[in-house]
Amino acid sequence: MLGKLGGLALTLFLASVIIFSALLLTPGDPVTALAGGARPTPELIAAIRAEYRLDDPVWLQYLHWLGGVVTGDFGRSFVYKTDVAELVGARFAVTFQLVLLTTALIAVFGLGSGILAAIGSRRTDMVVSVTTSLGMALPTFIVAILLIWIFATSLGWFPTFGAGEEGLDRLWHLVLPAVSLALMFIAYISRVTRSALVAQLHSEHVETARVRGIPWGRVFRRHVFHNAAPQILAISGTTIAGLFAASAIAEQAFGLGGVGSLLTEAAARKDLPVVQVVSLLLVALFVVLNAIADLLAAAIDPDSAGTRRNA
Amino acid sequence: MTRTTRRRFTVAAALATATVLAATACAPRTGTNDSSPEEIDASSLVTSLPAATTAVDEVTWAVVEGEPQTLDPSSSANIIIPNLCDSLLTVEPGFTLEAGIAEKAEWIDPVTFEITVRDGVSFWDGTPVTAADVAYSLERNRTPASQWYAAFALISSIETSSDGTVIVHFTAPDTTFRDALGGGGGAVMSKAFGDTVGADLGTSGGGLMCAGPYQLDDWKPGTEISVTANPDYWNGAPLTERIRFVFVTDGATLTSALTAGEIDGAFNVPPGSRQSFEAEDGEGRLISGPSTASYSFGPTSADSAAADPRVRQALSLAIDRSTYIDTVLQGLGQVQKTIVPPFVWSGMEAKDTYQDAYDALPSPEVDLDAAKDLIAESGIDTSTPLVLAVPAGAKEFSQTASIIQSAAKDIGLTVTIDERQPADFGALFYTPELRDGIDFVATTGYLEVPGVLGYPQLFMLPAEFGGIFNWSGYANDEVTADLQAARTATDATTAAEAFVSAQEIFAPDQLQVTLAGAYQLTYLSDDLTGITTSVAIYSSPWALRLGGE
Repeated sequence: MLGKLGGLALTLFLASVIIFSALLLTPGDPVTALAGGARPTPELIAAIRAEYRLDDPVWLQYLHWLGGVVTGDFGRSFVYKTDVAELVGARFAVTFQLVLLTTALIAVFGLGSGILAAIGSRRTDMVVSVTTSLGMALPTFIVAILLIWIFATSLGWFPTFGAGEEGLDRLWHLVLPAVSLALMFIAYISRVTRSALVAQLHSEHVETARVRGIPWGRVFRRHVFHNAAPQILAISGTTIAGLFAASAIAEQAFGLGGVGSLLTEAAARKDLPVVQVVSLLLVALFVVLNAIADLLAAAIDPDSAGTRRNA
Repeated sequence: MTRTTRRRFTVAAALATATVLAATACAPRTGTNDSSPEEIDASSLVTSLPAATTAVDEVTWAVVEGEPQTLDPSSSANIIIPNLCDSLLTVEPGFTLEAGIAEKAEWIDPVTFEITVRDGVSFWDGTPVTAADVAYSLERNRTPASQWYAAFALISSIETSSDGTVIVHFTAPDTTFRDALGGGGGAVMSKAFGDTVGADLGTSGGGLMCAGPYQLDDWKPGTEISVTANPDYWNGAPLTERIRFVFVTDGATLTSALTAGEIDGAFNVPPGSRQSFEAEDGEGRLISGPSTASYSFGPTSADSAAADPRVRQALSLAIDRSTYIDTVLQGLGQVQKTIVPPFVWSGMEAKDTYQDAYDALPSPEVDLDAAKDLIAESGIDTSTPLVLAVPAGAKEFSQTASIIQSAAKDIGLTVTIDERQPADFGALFYTPELRDGIDFVATTGYLEVPGVLGYPQLFMLPAEFGGIFNWSGYANDEVTADLQAARTATDATTAAEAFVSAQEIFAPDQLQVTLAGAYQLTYLSDDLTGITTSVAIYSSPWALRLGGE
């Protein structure tokens, strides 16, 4: 467990170094954001550069930033001139709820259709396979536009815009964004689930179990699903972690104002402190969710998970 | 008037995100009509809607430029501020300047300006607006960090008297100062509040204390800014109790939310969505108002072929303006003859002088032979491609770039397009190194207060006189002398005559090749009325009379 935590910390540290240096190498001058649109004179530019330590060597800027992050000071947004922590915090709830709902959709429909395809008739398998091919080919923003057009503008069942008020209203506002975000991943998880299950179904020990007359339901639960689960879980973990970044497109299309759209806006405006913190947060989420998926997989099937050696 | 700089950035950045998806999303809405969009006659433009009669609890308004960085009037121009912070003077919908918090604001001699503060005006917290607050607010613009700095540059001192009078002393006469008082340059803020909050003034954490018809209620960063009616507003309380400003930069999202009635109104809606906005099943209507906004492109360096006026004239002769207006603006704009937009002087004292001079300018026309002759005469190397920088992601700008590119091809020039991300594009305007390798930059901008000198001073004067966008090193002694004379003239007629005499020379040189004047586009719910619909929205409390039909 400790080794695992060490690995996490190392990953985060490397990610922070890469994020920090990559941002400084991208084109565009942060002074644009800092000047806030005023016409900067050379003196003003110099003052801004000094105030934000833009003239320090990169490693010093990094250390200063890291020191802040460790002590809970995530810096101030160049653009909004407010604490990054406050800015990100305010937006994180919406993204988190969106990802949660999307995950639920993926779990139900992705796993469900994958299982159906694996154990159902040839025909069912075909239908699922065609549908998932289509699902994987549709980019989120196209789905979003279609959904808005059909279910919001034409039928008027759902709102076209915004995150609504906390509670049921929020859920109602998040349905279309979650569906548009989930579609591609449902298709993906469905395929992964199907192939993992099919591989188990054709494996020797399942054949043996069936020949020995063990009831089909029990064979499926104890052998097929049990053995396929770690693989499905691992992929699902990555997928769900990836949703936090992928949500940007759905957030943009539905005007949700979550961390995803914050990241894209901040990047376009060269708001470095925001981009750094959001990127790091996304990496952290990615790493942690993967670790959780790993642990779950190990809990289901200790033999298949080599990661628990030192636990 | 330094406002152009910032506005150019903002508008470009907003368009970049606002219009990408618009066309896709709107396609299925109305019947197919492939003919060019119907043009709107300039005489039918609407400056404001009839005042409302019914009170309304809450209105949701979309800010298409995205969340503002700050609400501080000296460092931002956005559509929220004018409802919060009243200025000394008010820009009326027809672009005339009227009294505001200042009962009187006049030159009392060529270098002395007197402001009399209106009696009985209070900040939201109930404290009265005093001469000290006015002086404090004006002082805030006497630094280059303020966007209004240029209009304040000639001030030598500001003094107050206890009877509510502020005297501003100048080192030289300056006709641009009074106009600036109609915009954010004249916005009045509480000194006591400013001293307490310090550098956070105007941010979501610091807040504001002004004397406008609405008071800042809640700013949830990333989500919305809400304002509530100021019941004690000196010019009568607003009818709408609360306005929620939400930030919608995506054109498709905006269009569907507006037409579905989830958002009640928005300014600067994308012209590309015109069909959807005019469809019969929409919840509101599209209103075209007069504006000072225009699309143009200009040279970025002194040693490029673009610095030769003949090259710019040739390109201008190769571009069909009516096709441009149909394609880029969906018919919601008009031909504009020169860089200074007519609406900017439409409410000024010497407007006839300006109008006559404008009428005398030649209208842009297409003449490929004349254009080719000009290119031959210029002797430029036509095998070298000219690079045109545009902001990435904006449909209007990618269309503009293609139109310029194909017009150039018609006259034997090659134009390559350099699309840049918003931050990168914005930085072009003041980081000279970034302009290396670029010949032209296409842009859009508007002027939010009356005054003809805003653009000419920036583009035509030598750098040492304030020509910060004069990248091609244009220097014409007569133009410089006339523009300086127009700025320092002590009466309106002399100023106008000096300006038009400069315009006669600089207009044909096309320091910016003006492509079109764009109308001010507003989409408003059918249930609502009472707002300003001209470009004056940036300087006047446009929501003051907003309410039910």
